[in-house]
Parts: sequence; structure tokens; C-alpha cells
Amino acid sequence: MTRVTIDPVTRLEGHGKIEILLDEHGDVIHTYFQVPELRGFEQLCVGRPLEEMPTLTSRICGVCPEAHLMAAAKAVDAAYHVTPPRPAQLLRELLYSAFIFADHTTHFYVLSGPDFLVGPDAPKAERNILGVIHKIGAEIGLQVIQARKYGHEVIEMVGGRKVHPVSTVAGGMTKGITPEQRAVVAGIGQWMVDFAAGTLDLFAEQILGNPAYLDMIRGDIYSHRTYYMGLVDPDGRAAMLDGEVRVVAPDGARLGQFPPVAYTDWIAERVEPWTYLKFPYLRPVGWHGLVDGAESGVYCVGPLARLNVADAMKTPRAQAAYEQFFATLAPAENGVKQLVHQRMAMHWARLVELMAAAERVVELAADEEITSTQLRSVPTEAPTEGVGCVEAPRGTLYHHYWSDERGLVTRANLIVATTNNYAPIAMSVERAARSLIHAGKVDDGLLNRVEMAFRAYDPCFGCATHSLTGEMPLEVTIRDAAGESIGVLRQNC
Amino acid sequence: MPPASQSESSARTAEPAAGRTPASATLVVGLGNPLRGDDGVGLKVAEGLRQAAAMLPDVEIAELSVGGLALMERLLGYERVIIIDAASTGAGQPGTIRISTLGDLGLKSTANLDSSHDATLLAAMGAARSLGVEVPSKILIVAVEVTPTDAFATGLTPAVAAAIPAAIAVVLELLAS
Repeated sequence: MTRVTIDPVTRLEGHGKIEILLDEHGDVIHTYFQVPELRGFEQLCVGRPLEEMPTLTSRICGVCPEAHLMAAAKAVDAAYHVTPPRPAQLLRELLYSAFIFADHTTHFYVLSGPDFLVGPDAPKAERNILGVIHKIGAEIGLQVIQARKYGHEVIEMVGGRKVHPVSTVAGGMTKGITPEQRAVVAGIGQWMVDFAAGTLDLFAEQILGNPAYLDMIRGDIYSHRTYYMGLVDPDGRAAMLDGEVRVVAPDGARLGQFPPVAYTDWIAERVEPWTYLKFPYLRPVGWHGLVDGAESGVYCVGPLARLNVADAMKTPRAQAAYEQFFATLAPAENGVKQLVHQRMAMHWARLVELMAAAERVVELAADEEITSTQLRSVPTEAPTEGVGCVEAPRGTLYHHYWSDERGLVTRANLIVATTNNYAPIAMSVERAARSLIHAGKVDDGLLNRVEMAFRAYDPCFGCATHSLTGEMPLEVTIRDAAGESIGVLRQNC
Repeated sequence: MPPASQSESSARTAEPAAGRTPASATLVVGLGNPLRGDDGVGLKVAEGLRQAAAMLPDVEIAELSVGGLALMERLLGYERVIIIDAASTGAGQPGTIRISTLGDLGLKSTANLDSSHDATLLAAMGAARSLGVEVPSKILIVAVEVTPTDAFATGLTPAVAAAIPAAIAVVLELLAS
């Protein structure tokens, strides 16, 4: 076939750009998925005070500022060689749990929910929060808003501000909470647990109870046997804020576990000439292309990955949901845990985490030390270099800063969740393309199915890029064997 | 089936999600990301407005970097809202200022009112309405045309920076009418 040059310079701003190449029979040979990257971010950091990184990086994204804030805060702690006292760690986890709760609620009811609750073949105009409200009722809509409100209330209480918290400092926190505030949090936490339980029930009824949707979740179209990466606590339970990074192979065997500071031993980057973004892959396994399997160093992060790598959840009701999740989708064989590879299951995994976050809010409010005033270990040494790692809603997030002895940043490196997921997203997009394009005929459902593949990963392109009206902006160009464009599908751009 | 049952514990009574009584009737929101170059023009305009608008009764100025649901939640309770934001419509040179209502925007989106992890502001307002929540009766968008960029940067390009005084004047005029 004709050699086609994919020129990354012609990418669209903030959009997903896909080139699909067909052979002479009109079947898909390959799919190239290009994304824009976080250009210039490092330049923004260099020369600035290290301690400014949490508030600076929380402005990368208007949706998950807390994730960047915490990753940066942990990196700053590490660079200053300090460990926050336990009460400060409790407060940070309280803030973070409230954030995860609000974010996962929003994602399920506003983003992924519509695909299931309203249906993937429903008219576009209905596949959004409005459609969910019409289908399920206004009561749910009000509770979604309430859930967000409660989440933001806790964040503001602990963080000092709703969207961009300001209370983290090197070695701890600037403020704590009073016994009165703690009582408020306890009440909110209980509401959150009830809401999470109701959401899991809703999922079981409306989605698992619907054969068509269950098929969609179980189906092979979005199934990839890859490695998975996620944080675990010292007992191997799923963690969002503190712990070590665990990697498991497609068959569930543990490849390894490492402290975040060692991430460069584990993650390497593959340069492909047709895209700006490099593909991270597992260094010990090696790169064999965008393929499944234990020989391929491709790995996946996010809610599904976190459940796959963990031995258990930290809290009881989340644990019950975790067990039901695996029992339904990947029952153990000879007592050995099997992994769930179907990417649509991410939506369910998110709800297990929703419950876990809610339960943690209750547990943290009940911890005696949550109202302590021992909130800071003041740094005594000049800073050097530090890595902070957290689980953002979308997956593992690394912040790495180098500092001079004055505390000014000399270098910065970020690996965001979507970068970690670049290879799996590309593979899911290719799978969707292959299943829907045959003999040169492009199915109308292509864009929707591709969009569903994206949505499962909830990817963030270049963080804080925008330009949507409820749908992923996509430009899909299909080229025949001669390299000529035979069709361009555009959505929202 | 509604997801949450009311807990018998010390759960506080759920306050209505909306129904705030803000101090002012009008909210002016400068929207943008301060780290994404021209994307932050809305923030700069709002900043410039503060002094001028201090003399105007019943006007609150806010600088926000959120979209969709969070933005909708912030707008509730006001009678009138003016949002200043960057737009990349391609119809006009960078620095061009356009006024429209939220409804006028239709499928076109200004860079920042939407998010890939959230509802669009349009959908969020629609959701609020269908939930019986009181939404502002008038929402105006003052859009400053920009060329979007992937790169992180803290300043504005000259053409866009030059539009700030005009944008401030436009908003002041809207506030006076």
C-alpha cells in the first residue's frame, strides 16, 4: 500500500485526532490516535518557589485541581525531606476523599451514566445529565447536586477554599478542623455512604439488570489484556493518596511494587514519529507496540486498574462491592484472583471507589486525631528533589520536582493519568475502528463507539483543554490504501 | 429509585442545593485558566472591572476557572449574570469581542464553558431548570476571540491584551443598561 505520512503538526487544538488507514479491501490496517501535549509546563515551573507548586499545578485543571495539589504537596514534602504528622495526613486524606466522592459522582451521573442509563443508541440530545434526569427522575438530579455540594463543603472546610485548596504546606497543613466541623463532616459522611449505596443499587438494577448493557460491559470489543498500575497501602489494599505503586500482569500475577520515587526504573517512554505524546510503557517488560498480552509493556491506570492491582478495599462496604464486582465479571479460578479486562467495567469500578471514599470520610471524622493541632513538621534542610504520587480520579499521577538549595524549581516532570493511559486508549480506539469499518463502509455508530471507548478512560487531553458541547471533539479521517482521504467524520469541531 | 435514603444518624438536614440569597442581583464572572495564555483573558477583564464596578450597586465580580456544573452552581440565585471568557470561533481576529446570550451559543462553545469531565454549561443550566432550581433569568456571554494554544503560558498575546479595556467598557455598558 501507499506509504502515508501522518504529520503531527496538523493536529487540532485540544482535540482527539484519529487517522484510520484502510487496506485495498477496505479493512482497517491501523489507527493512529494523536493527542496534544502539556507543552511549556516545565518552563512555567522553573525558577518558581518549590512551595508554590501545589497552588500552581492545581490550576492546570479546573476539574481535578485537588489531585495535582496533593501530588505536588507530596513531592514538596519529599524534596524537603519531611513527613507530615499523622493529623495532617488524616486531614489531607479527608479532603481527598471528599474530592474523589464529588468527582466520581459527577462522572457517573453526568458522563458515563448517560451511556447506560439513557442508552448508547439514544439520541445525542438525551445522552447527558438532562436525559438521566428525564429517565430516572428529578430526585436523583437534586441528590447529585447535593453530593457535589457536600463534597465541596468538606474540601472548603479542610482546604480553605472550594476549588483550589490553599492549606497544604511543606510538611503538613496550615489549618485543622474544630470539633464542631468534625461533627458536620461525620453527618455528611453518612449521607455520602447512603448515596453511594443507592448509586450501586441503581447500577445493579438499571445496568447489570439490563441484558444489553451487561453484554456491553462484558463484551470483548473493549477488552484488553494489559498490565495494570495503581497505589496500594502497606496491606495491599486500594489507596488513593499514600502507598506504593503496584503493577500486575494480565494474568493477575504481581510484576512488582515500588515506592513512587523509583518510578523511572519502571516507566519508560516510547517515541512514535506520528504523535507528540510519548507512550509510557513498563521498562522491565519492554515495548512491543500497541498490543495486548504479557509480552507487551503497555499498562493501564484508573478505577479498573486500581481494583485489579489491589488485594482488597480499605473499608467494609466497598470491600463487599469489590467482591461482587470480581465475582460477576471475573470469578476466581482455583482461589486465584482473576482480573477484569473489559474497559466498560471502569464505570462500575468507579462506583466501588465512590463507596470507599464515602466510608473513609466517616472513618476519618471518627478518628480522634482529626481535630489535633499538631499539623506540621517544619522542614529543617534545604530541598533537593522529590516525587509525589497520588491516584487522580483518572489514574496514577506523578509529580517530580528538582530544586536548588534556595528552594527554586530547576526542573519539573509530570506524568498525568491520561499519559499513562495513552497506549490503552489508542488500542481501544483501534479496536472500535476495526469492529465498525469493513470493506470500506464506515458505520454511523463509529463516532459514538469510539467516544464510548474514550469515555471509559475519561481522558484529559492536555488538561484544561475545552471545546466540547457534551461530546468529545473528534476528527476521524479515514484513508484508503492509496492514502487518499475517503471520509472525515467530525464531531463538535 | 432514588439513590439515597435519609439517614437517621446525626446527618444534618440536607440544605437545598440551591436557594442561596446572594448579596447582589448581578454576578459578573471572569472565566479562564491563568496558565493557558489567552485562555485567561476573562480573568484579566474581571480583575480590571473590580475598581470600576465598585461604584455600581448590586454587582458582584468573580474570577473562576471552572466549567459546567460547578459554574452553574455558582450562578444560582442571581438575577443576571455576565460571563467573560475566551472564545475560538475562527470568526474574527484575536481581540474581537462578541456579546451573546447563552442560548445563542448553540453548538459553538467558548473555550472554558465546557469540559470533557463535566456537563456543558448549557446542559447544566437545563438540568437545574428541570430540577426546579431557580436559575438567572439573563445570562450574557462576553467572548473575546483568541487563538487557542496547547502551551502553558502566563501572559496574554498582544492583540488579546489590547482588547481588555474594550471588554471592560462593554461589560460596564451592559451593567448600566
